[in-house]
Amino acid sequence: MMFLSTLIAPDNQLPIPANIGLLEVLIVVTFMLHIVFVNFTISLTAGAVGLEAAGMIKKNPIMDKMAQIASFHASIHKSIAVVLGVGPLLMVSVIYTQYFYASTILIGKAWLSVLILLIVAFLLLYLYKFTWDKWQNKKALHLFVGFLAMAILFFVPLIFIVNVVSMLYPEQWATANGFFHSLFHYPQIWQRYLHFMLASLATGGFYFFIYFGYKKRRGATLTPAEQAAKVFGVKVGFWVTVVQLVAGFLLLFSFKKEIRMLYLGEDLLLTSLLVLSIILTIILCACLFTAGQKDSSKAFMASLITFVFIIGVMGWMRHELREAYLQPYLDDNPRTTDYTVIDKGNEK
Amino acid sequence: MNFPSVDYSWFGNGSVIALIAIVHVVISHGVAIGTIALMVTMEYRAVRTKNAKLDQLAKKIAKWVLIITTTVGAMTGVGIWFSTTVIQPDSIGALLRIFFWAWVAEWAVFITEVVLLIIYYYTWDIWKDGKAKLRHLKLGMVLAFASWLTMAIITGVLAAKLTPGLWSETLSFWNAFVNPTYLPSLGFRMFLAVMLAIALLSFFIRWRVKDTELRGEVFSVFGLWGAISLPATFIFGLWYLWAIPEEAYNMIVWSTGMPENVFKLLNGVAFAILVLFLVWVVVKPKAVPWLLSLVVMGASIGFIGEFEVVRESIRKPFIIYDYMYANGLLAKDREKYDEEGFLTHATWAKEKEVTAENMVEAGREVFIGQCITCHTVDGWRSKRSLTKRMDGWDEEAMKGFIPTMHNVRVAMPPFMGTDEELAALAAYISTELNGQRTNNTQEVSAK
Repeated sequence: MMFLSTLIAPDNQLPIPANIGLLEVLIVVTFMLHIVFVNFTISLTAGAVGLEAAGMIKKNPIMDKMAQIASFHASIHKSIAVVLGVGPLLMVSVIYTQYFYASTILIGKAWLSVLILLIVAFLLLYLYKFTWDKWQNKKALHLFVGFLAMAILFFVPLIFIVNVVSMLYPEQWATANGFFHSLFHYPQIWQRYLHFMLASLATGGFYFFIYFGYKKRRGATLTPAEQAAKVFGVKVGFWVTVVQLVAGFLLLFSFKKEIRMLYLGEDLLLTSLLVLSIILTIILCACLFTAGQKDSSKAFMASLITFVFIIGVMGWMRHELREAYLQPYLDDNPRTTDYTVIDKGNEK
Repeated sequence: MNFPSVDYSWFGNGSVIALIAIVHVVISHGVAIGTIALMVTMEYRAVRTKNAKLDQLAKKIAKWVLIITTTVGAMTGVGIWFSTTVIQPDSIGALLRIFFWAWVAEWAVFITEVVLLIIYYYTWDIWKDGKAKLRHLKLGMVLAFASWLTMAIITGVLAAKLTPGLWSETLSFWNAFVNPTYLPSLGFRMFLAVMLAIALLSFFIRWRVKDTELRGEVFSVFGLWGAISLPATFIFGLWYLWAIPEEAYNMIVWSTGMPENVFKLLNGVAFAILVLFLVWVVVKPKAVPWLLSLVVMGASIGFIGEFEVVRESIRKPFIIYDYMYANGLLAKDREKYDEEGFLTHATWAKEKEVTAENMVEAGREVFIGQCITCHTVDGWRSKRSLTKRMDGWDEEAMKGFIPTMHNVRVAMPPFMGTDEELAALAAYISTELNGQRTNNTQEVSAK
């Protein structure tokens, strides 16, 4: 393996500050929390823009109201998504320093452009939300503001995906040439993007269903727009999840064969996780379908629980995938885990 | 050179981090910490004096705090981390490992702060009477505490870079966190944050609030906070100066790039303006001149920018004092690199050995590995641009100077590498400078 790992730096000489197993649990948990809110932000923004446009075309005020609700929730969740992201970034930086730093710097300029892109997108989201009533007679401009924010939010995940895919392929680093080249240089990128975007849309639909379902269950009367948002959420959640079953397989088949086979029988844990995730997804679809037919308390609770489990299994599988890809490199390039081995002498 | 490198050639790699950091410090100190303290005090005063106008003004400020901190504030905060990962990976990598649990705690507090801020703003008109209003006010106080706590944690990390104290010996987290400048720099920063917030807000209050009664109310809140914060900033500042290493203290004026008398004059005048402004706010709160508030705002942003530049510069040549140099090289590796070569140990170097054919290319790798964190080839900052700094030098002169430069230029880390690598570096710089090698022995005038 030596010839493959020449670009992997020796690990930082200071030891990893906690038990690796604990950090792996933390990276899975913190990443799931982060990504769910990212999903909310992306899909609620897309939902707001789509519904506002549909409302303009069909001259339907209910749709406009639904869109306004979506934009309100999107602008809140984006703030939470960003702060939650600090946790998994910390974990990945500490556990996978040798891989993640290299993959980050290889797309360094695109990586820093995330800052400007997101500042602009978030400011646009506030403008979009706070001018909803004021700009009723400037609808086209208003929609354009939302559309710009959405376009940026659709683009940024690609930068993150390139980074986390690139870190799995150290043998391809030498031939990678910046972000745009990397989009087609590494396998998996577009399959991951599709899987992620569909997950976002489904999660947003699901969010509407759960949020207003919960509100109703607490005894509040839903406004017509809120009721419509809830029903729309169920539909989006259901149909997108059905498509996701296909997208998930596309992703699975983009992995290199040795890794794919781990999920298809060669590794008990990975195979079980994959089977479990498919069963849970089908259960979720059934729950959403039932919830779409009638307002059932059971379907509500069952889909909420299934959803949480799916997120957990997906997060876990995603981590195991990274471990499987990196295993040969981790064996050849040990991490600094022990305080006693440090040579801490100073120059003085 | 454990990692690949990025070159912001004209702007300079160091300037990228500095720009993001200064914007962040203005917002985190001035808006997230200082303004939140003032805003909650305004709400408190509004409740005590049953002043609905003051209450609504506080709400308006809360809206802007929300917008600014969750966009530019949050992203530049993450941005310092993003940019250091790209530009100084070894340094941030080390800091994350030393302060891992502090960062985990910081993360938890950040989430709390943002969630509280969201609830605080969006419940303003829902929790508006009686007990509900008191609950809202209490929430505001918890929010102010949470925002202060983020500073109390990160200051441990920042202060340790200059004065790691016992950490260099023990490698213990608590020795690094509670280091010799922790308390003075925390005190200095928190009161400075309030001063900055007063300066930022005063201009907008003076400009946007037409009602002089209301304006007077706001300025009396500012006056009270200012009367505490200005002397406190001064006292903690002196303590801070007293606690930093002597070598660092001697570099303060130099690091601002100003001649000493200009430095003293500018800072003295700015301080005098601040005192004048505060006296005005306390004595005649209804009649604060807008021009004065504008000048105070500009001076305060300038001051905090200067403070950050100084703090980052005076620990040079180190980035973590006595442990890691500004270019990410460890102090203890010097002998190894001098004997075995720097490039052989540089994972990402394209050339691993210096030969007669690859002198310039190998020199470029040395430049990327040891100089590019701070220097540019021909960037806009003349102090950092090698073609400006070494104009007129030939290779022999460079080879004579570089190995001893850290003795003359105290901010420079020592060169680490073999004589061949030194010659290669000189060959590279010379090629960038003159378009060709200058390895003849012509006379040069060293600048």
